[in-house]
Amino acid sequence: MIESGDDKGFKPASYERIVLKNASEYYYLKIYLEFQEVGISLNAVEFKQLIISALKRLHGEVGAALPVDVLSYEEKTLLAILRVPITGLVKLWSALTLLDSYQNRKCAFRVIQTSPFLLALAGNSRELVLD
Amino acid sequence: MVRFKNRYFLCEIISDDSRFQQCLDERAVHNTVKNVIARMHGDFGLACCSIAFSVKYLNAYTGIVLLCCRKDFHRLLWSSLPFITYLESRNQRYPCSFNTLHVGATIRTCQKFLIHYNSNQLLALLRNCTSEADRQAIQESVQSCMFVEEEQFHSKDEESDDSMQMA
Repeated sequence: MIESGDDKGFKPASYERIVLKNASEYYYLKIYLEFQEVGISLNAVEFKQLIISALKRLHGEVGAALPVDVLSYEEKTLLAILRVPITGLVKLWSALTLLDSYQNRKCAFRVIQTSPFLLALAGNSRELVLD
Repeated sequence: MVRFKNRYFLCEIISDDSRFQQCLDERAVHNTVKNVIARMHGDFGLACCSIAFSVKYLNAYTGIVLLCCRKDFHRLLWSSLPFITYLESRNQRYPCSFNTLHVGATIRTCQKFLIHYNSNQLLALLRNCTSEADRQAIQESVQSCMFVEEEQFHSKDEESDDSMQMA
């Protein structure tokens, strides 16, 4: 609470503090997989397997047991939307960052957007074309 | 200056194997615990727990070990200990399990707990023993540890407390 220096005739406006804790259960990540070479495709099962193996390497069996869901996945663009409980977000993100290869071919996960609301991933303000 | 805060795990290694006592050494315990942390918590957990991780004390006769790690990551080590199922030594695997008796912040609290624990174990042995010779041997050891060791220990404590106050 801020206290003013001279308090004669000055009444602090009554206020209430509203604390909004991040109460949402899940976090959503929009990611895409980037390869150094072109023309590599992997299906949804292999994609999920890749994520789980990354989690297992960095965070062990505890990390591999995280309930990560692939909500949508496009094989052509390697674009995916993941859903993860809010407690596992840091683990998942760090595992994605430190993944470096898939079947001895260099690759990297790019995290495009993250949000606690799925709808927020529908649009990306960074891709807006302004007149 | 602030000291580094550690946590000490006083564990009991339980095994049915009779050859187990001979193969129990610090390196085997060290490697086993590190392997299980790497399995449960991956590279990240292993790196976290490796800071100041060491086997401080090992008693092969009673199967008591004292493990040390930094306080920040002691939960990682703690959660891994139940998943130890075997101890590997000289390319042989001995099935065993770890039973955590006490988690303390200093070696001294662990030592105090261990003395209490061992004297309780002796009393339990005394209650359950069958032959008269056993009973006498145990009674002697109970008396020796009660009167001699405890007094020495207390006087040491007081001395160290006095020195703390002096400082």
